[in-house]
Amino acid sequence: MLLRAVGLTKSYGGARAGPVRVLQGVDLEVKAGEIAAIVGVSGSGKSTLLNLLGLLEPPDAGEIQFDAEPVSSLGRRRQARLRGARIGYVFQSFLLLSGLTAWENVLLAARYVGRDRRQAEREALRLMERLDVLHRRGHYPAQLSGGEQQRVAFCRAVLNAPSLLLADEPTGNLDAEHARVILRELRAQARERGATVILVTHRAEAAAEADYALRLQGGRLEPA
Amino acid sequence: MLRALFPRGYLFTVLGIAVGMAGLVSLGAMAERITRFIDGGDRFVLGQISVAGEGMGMGTGFTAGGLLPAARIAEIARVPGVAAVQAQVMLPLSTTTSHFLTLTQELILGMDLSAPMPNRHYRELPVRAGRFLRSGDRRAAVVGADFAATRRLAVGGPLSLGTLPFTVVGLLDRTLTAPDRFAIVSIDDARDLWLRRDPLLVQVFGAGGGALGRGDLNSGVAVGWAPGVDPDALARRIHAEVRGVNVTIPGELSRLLRTSTAFFSALLLGIGALGLVIGGLSLSNTVTAAVFERIRDFGIKRALGATDVQLLGEVLGEALRVSLAGCVGGVALALGLGLAVDARLFRDGQQLFLFSPRLLLFALGFGLVLGALAATYATLRIARLSPAEAIRRGA
Repeated sequence: MLLRAVGLTKSYGGARAGPVRVLQGVDLEVKAGEIAAIVGVSGSGKSTLLNLLGLLEPPDAGEIQFDAEPVSSLGRRRQARLRGARIGYVFQSFLLLSGLTAWENVLLAARYVGRDRRQAEREALRLMERLDVLHRRGHYPAQLSGGEQQRVAFCRAVLNAPSLLLADEPTGNLDAEHARVILRELRAQARERGATVILVTHRAEAAAEADYALRLQGGRLEPA
Repeated sequence: MLRALFPRGYLFTVLGIAVGMAGLVSLGAMAERITRFIDGGDRFVLGQISVAGEGMGMGTGFTAGGLLPAARIAEIARVPGVAAVQAQVMLPLSTTTSHFLTLTQELILGMDLSAPMPNRHYRELPVRAGRFLRSGDRRAAVVGADFAATRRLAVGGPLSLGTLPFTVVGLLDRTLTAPDRFAIVSIDDARDLWLRRDPLLVQVFGAGGGALGRGDLNSGVAVGWAPGVDPDALARRIHAEVRGVNVTIPGELSRLLRTSTAFFSALLLGIGALGLVIGGLSLSNTVTAAVFERIRDFGIKRALGATDVQLLGEVLGEALRVSLAGCVGGVALALGLGLAVDARLFRDGQQLFLFSPRLLLFALGFGLVLGALAATYATLRIARLSPAEAIRRGA
């Protein structure tokens, strides 16, 4: 997928404190099969940018296009369909559902896109085996280590083979060994399937996995 | 399977709903109990015309005063529109004034078993064990549920009324109204009991040579009317055509009963409203809080592609299952506590709760509808948030 963002702006804040301008006209273009790393200091708006690109919240201004098709202005229902079918998210805090087992968490990605259940289960088996968490399929997130949780979350993110994979500090809570596994898998998604990968990170070794890195500073992107 | 019915992490939600529902059902059961008592009395008075000897009016039976001679009963039977007349003797079991005309007063009802029961709403009283009285029965008694419970009576067992020994031949079903405290005997046995209580009556009726005989020893009659006859009009006609009688007019008596029980009606309305408010608030607050607690989960699900409709469907499904579990738990809790309390009170012939099917069905329906409404409200509030905002707020 060719991801393009043009003039994205986003502000937060209430009536008392006044708005905080996080993004002030971000332009970005990432091609299929590329891994782009976005780096920046804490509070620079990296996660906000990722949320906008992943249609998790709307920009105040600007436009996002998937393969030249504007998607940021679509209705809620169509955006939901796009999120389920074409976008995968890997979050720093894993965001697994505590009431579901590892297996159920992975399969949750297939529930909302109308995917054939058996096919999804076969894919989930393959992914969990590849990420070495199949033996933990019946456990709840609280019973898993951080590394296991992130691998389960990764399986969920790629279950539907999304063409856009967004990773927000995916190695932030992991030790070096588990971080290497996740970065290896992200690279595999780009190289083997041609997925567009955007990686937000503050770790140099993570940024080094990317094809190129961009720095978010003052609400704008610039080459790192 | 069980997990599908009761989603993980909802234990305290279910318990919260159960407590609210138990309050609703308990208060409702108390209101039902009072309603049944009032309605039972109303149903009884609207089913017959009661006629007593002039003087003590309706108090005749309760006070063992006043008489309705056989000649008067014959006159009543001849009034056009009258279909059946049953002579009765009603005596207080205990003659102490502390029981007089209270709701706990136990009565001996002597019935002329040669005549069918004229009450349109009580053609026969419901017998739980044994049988009802038959014409010709002597020293046999059928007793109400409370009457039997307080004395541990069983069919075939002995019963002493006044100074006379009786055998219990039947136990009535619980009606939650007056007959629960009745001991029903043949009218001849009731006359015997009456004569033994009052030496003056023995002098008048016992010798057999006076103007009055045993057949004149009646405290009243129950009068039934022919099909199509207006009972109130018939009651007024009896009063106009037969001298020396007091006639209750069913419609008027019903209105009087309703007026005199207006306080209880208002009280039970208040109890019911209180139950609805307490149970409803508890349930809706618990469900709403449970949905808001899952705001992060909803954000994640929306990130995974769930549409508003899919999310609402999921939440409603969960809310209904959780509400149902809570409601069933609450009903079970209320039933358990209520029945335990009533089991203790039952020994004294009392009952505090009535868990009627309509109450339980209403409580379940109310809980499910309110749970669904609360869940819908909370979901629609959450659905307005972007997935990222929902995840942030739920973190």
